[in-house]
Amino acid sequence: MSVATVSQTAMAGQDTTARAGRDESARLGFRLTLPAQILVLFIAVFPLLMQLYISLTDWSPLSGRNWWMAWESWNSFYNYYDLMQDNRFWGALWRTFVVMIVCVPVEFLLGLGLATLFADDFRGKRVFYSILLMPMMVVPAVAGYMFFMLFQSGGPVNDVLSTLLGTRVAIAWLSDPTLALVAVMIADIWQWTPLMFLILLAGLVGVPQDQVRAATLLGAGPWQRFVTIVIPKMKTIIIIALAIRVIENFKIFDTLYIMTGGGPGVATETISVYIYKLTTQDLIWGYVAAIALAILLVLSVVTIWAMKRMAAAREVQA
Amino acid sequence: MKRSVSFELFRYAAILLALAVTLIPILWMVSMAFKPVGEWSATGADLTWWPQNPTLSNFRFIFGQSDSSLIVALDRTAMKPILSSLLSASFGTLIAMTAGTAAAYGLSRFGSGQNLPLALTQLRLFPPMAVMIPVMIMWAFLKLTDTWWGLALVYGIVTLPFAFWLMKTFFDDMPREIEEAGLVEGCSRWRVFTRITLPMMRAPLASAALFVFILNWSDYLIALLLTTREWVTVPVYMASLSSSMTGQLYGAKAALGLIAAVPPVIMGIAIQRHLVRGLTFGALKQ
Repeated sequence: MSVATVSQTAMAGQDTTARAGRDESARLGFRLTLPAQILVLFIAVFPLLMQLYISLTDWSPLSGRNWWMAWESWNSFYNYYDLMQDNRFWGALWRTFVVMIVCVPVEFLLGLGLATLFADDFRGKRVFYSILLMPMMVVPAVAGYMFFMLFQSGGPVNDVLSTLLGTRVAIAWLSDPTLALVAVMIADIWQWTPLMFLILLAGLVGVPQDQVRAATLLGAGPWQRFVTIVIPKMKTIIIIALAIRVIENFKIFDTLYIMTGGGPGVATETISVYIYKLTTQDLIWGYVAAIALAILLVLSVVTIWAMKRMAAAREVQA
Repeated sequence: MKRSVSFELFRYAAILLALAVTLIPILWMVSMAFKPVGEWSATGADLTWWPQNPTLSNFRFIFGQSDSSLIVALDRTAMKPILSSLLSASFGTLIAMTAGTAAAYGLSRFGSGQNLPLALTQLRLFPPMAVMIPVMIMWAFLKLTDTWWGLALVYGIVTLPFAFWLMKTFFDDMPREIEEAGLVEGCSRWRVFTRITLPMMRAPLASAALFVFILNWSDYLIALLLTTREWVTVPVYMASLSSSMTGQLYGAKAALGLIAAVPPVIMGIAIQRHLVRGLTFGALKQ
């Protein structure tokens, strides 16, 4: 487009100038994108092939062989077969979904509620807004440590509960299988509700006010306006916010691992924690590669779907 | 639209509650960081929300001064982990911003690298845990394990999608007239990019760089897998702080947590305007 404009402005008229400009653009475009392409090859394409190869073997860093010699312990698809039978894997996957199914909707509802409170102007709005965003900027590992301290049996959470209930409460949150999971979820909700709030507020502000006013004139109440105008207008944004949190929540590791290390037992062992333990403690890397690839395959489908949604949103805005 | 008084009351009450929930965990850590050893793990009636005898000994302790009430001394101080975090996060940001800005401009202006948006989005969405086996093997082979430069390279690649998308939306938004004027004046396209476009984009570049730096600085998992001793980063070091003698070193860890948490929070507030754009890959602007 700009090439055409330029050649017209220069009134070259001849093909040669235009073609020279186009060649220059193509060459520069290629060179500019080259570093990124190399990095993608280096970290994505090549490693994935390597992962596929290793996943078909029993290779381990302790085997004393270089990874390219892994074929010596070739076991076809046995790792994938193993995966199907691996109860600890399915347990971890199940726990990951439980955390997601609780956390994401709670974060969404709290975020949406807060966003509606911030939709119009009031005193102190900017300061409150900045403070409310703080949790998502705290280093997740540090947030994990904060909640580790809060949930100690002699910690502030029990202290507050004792005051409220009037009796001495000494719950060992992080060593009870169910409560540990609850504590981990509370930490996740604390840290990521601000993200929902941030995105949903941006969407809420973008809802055309004339339509809302028109509905008010027609006698629609606040709730009716919210459900029939605001929510439909925010549909794409809501889907993006949910997609981001679902994808991120699936990876949950830092806060959780610092708080409980996956324990007690395997009570808070999510998929990332399970893979981490297999990688660093069991060292069966052939099997880990198989799990990782299986997960990547499933996530790719979700990713492509989410990408289409985001592209659609960009079109709408453009 | 005028709101009723009861709505305003409800709004402030709800916001105050949210503020309290937001701030209490942070304040507890801040308070713990300034507590002397004796107040670390008091329970029940002795639990204090504010340090009774505020002290800087926790900070001194993590920087190597031995603490008589702790018996133990650290075999290494927080200095090197802080340096490691700074170096790996900064150079990771440099790699991501250089490759990302160049690629974003190439795609935005010349349509090169059509595969990058999808490839980079997938890169961002994949759990790092699921691609670390090959990376660990490669890094061991290249002797990059447990070095800040090896970590910086991974960070550069992991945050490349954010740098790319942020800069792409900034370039897409930028009016083309000025660049075209430069071309008419006879500048080459490379010169237009380096002498006209980049200087104009200084503010967006700075915001994107801060955004990427926060992400790199916040990493725990990758550093946990790729560093073992020499170049562990602050979060890894913090998690390892405990001793068999005294158990959890609450105050010392809190002091370190505070040091780790402050820079990204300040930077995040500084670039608030661009957070939505960065987090949604430009699907949403504020």
